Amino acid sequence: MKRMVDVSIPLGPVHPCWKEPARVKCETKGEYVVSAEVELGYMKKGIERIMRGRPWQEVMFLAERVCGICSVIHNMVFIEALEKVSDIPVPDRAALLRVVVNELDRIQSHILANFSYCYTIEHETLGMYLLDVREMVMDELERITGARVTCAYIIPGGVRFDLRNEDELRLRANLLAIEKEVTRYMRMFEHGPLIALRSKGIGVLTREAAREAYAVGPTARASGMPEIDRRLRHPTYQKLGFTPVSRDEGDNFARIMVRFQEVLASIGIIRTCLDQLPGGPIRGGGIPGAGEIAYSGEAPRGELSYFIRTDAAGRVLDISIQTPSIMNIEACCHYMLTGAASLADVSSTFVSADPCIACTER
Amino acid sequence: MSLLQAIKNTVRSKSIHVSYVDVGSCNGCDIEVLACLAPRYDIEQYGIFVHNNPREADVLLVIGAFTPGWEEKLHVLWEKIPDPKAAIAIGNCPISGCLFDRPHTFVDAPVSKHIPIAAQVPGCPPRPTEILSAILAVAPVVFKDFEVRTR
Repeated sequence: MKRMVDVSIPLGPVHPCWKEPARVKCETKGEYVVSAEVELGYMKKGIERIMRGRPWQEVMFLAERVCGICSVIHNMVFIEALEKVSDIPVPDRAALLRVVVNELDRIQSHILANFSYCYTIEHETLGMYLLDVREMVMDELERITGARVTCAYIIPGGVRFDLRNEDELRLRANLLAIEKEVTRYMRMFEHGPLIALRSKGIGVLTREAAREAYAVGPTARASGMPEIDRRLRHPTYQKLGFTPVSRDEGDNFARIMVRFQEVLASIGIIRTCLDQLPGGPIRGGGIPGAGEIAYSGEAPRGELSYFIRTDAAGRVLDISIQTPSIMNIEACCHYMLTGAASLADVSSTFVSADPCIACTER
Repeated sequence: MSLLQAIKNTVRSKSIHVSYVDVGSCNGCDIEVLACLAPRYDIEQYGIFVHNNPREADVLLVIGAFTPGWEEKLHVLWEKIPDPKAAIAIGNCPISGCLFDRPHTFVDAPVSKHIPIAAQVPGCPPRPTEILSAILAVAPVVFKDFEVRTR
């Protein structure tokens, strides 16, 4: 069958609104987008190939650099897989500190994603407000872990640094300020009439489509699938009584609102952790040994799975990583972009799914 | 150099347009460049405008170790930037490949093999203030003795 297409418009790889290079080819009929296709391959570094045959001490730092935005969760999932393989116990205090740092990382990642969306729909003011809040979160991350982005905080059998009492007080004080600001900006986003025109009812991903495309993370939770949150299966989160956020609309607006609500939920989780934080050591003993395991955790963008096989010396013989963005990108181009009413909505819809090209291609 | 050109160069070095290109990094340096836009660092108060359009840029920030996907494209991008221009390598990746430059990798570091690099900001990732001061240090040098070529 011959398809009638007016013009094929490529967006990217260097695009004013995207952080990373990707190419979206849109076949359009007037303003109507007939089909869209995402072309990747600008960031392929071959991290898994480098990792094979190396000791875990090196793989730990490589795993962190799979993705710079959500580096803590990559660190956490790899180390927890390693601990499961070789039965290394984790002290209670360290387990809760891991959750604190992981949730801080999730907060900054979600705020960055929402900044990108606001920037793409040309609401620069709200975007700048959000970036300002993000700096406060980065300060807290830096104070606890010692680095802003790639902090290598989590190590087998515990964490690297303890949370001092004065840092805990500062963290609590800053969490209050962050919560107040984020609530204010969430209200601005929720009630902004121009934001609603650019966001509501655009790029709709229905629950059925999300299920078919295996969408994960906030993208799926905005389509009414709260059960896919992997934090529900994590022992520490289960103890904290975690409930996932979800919405039913499935449009760009819902995806951004889910991220705002998750930021507030994460602040609640951090507070619960700090309340329950016991005394005691932050590092146990243990030597990584031989075994193989598939283990997954919830990254800011969705489910992240690691498969590792190690030998008795702690070398990683085989590793494969599945990152969340690849599913969301497919869901984005097959369900959200196809049939979009206007070409102007393509970049904002693409950004609202929060694609992370670096961890997609590795 | 005419006086008019000298005045033009001085004025232009106070208003820099910046474009950034990610040639295969872990994203950590990208978000530090974005953090420069934040009101705390406020890159625009120094007269630097991050526009991300190579055809209007004066300074190109190159982020990441060089991947095969950019083999033919980075050079074309560099050609699109009008004279005078300078490229700054942000982070360890474009300088040495950082920890991606190992056996079995796909990357082809350093980036200076492919385009001329004027300044380097080491760090994994560098702080936003360091990125900011590197751009400010390069700005007066880019326009120093620039003259429009006449036919």
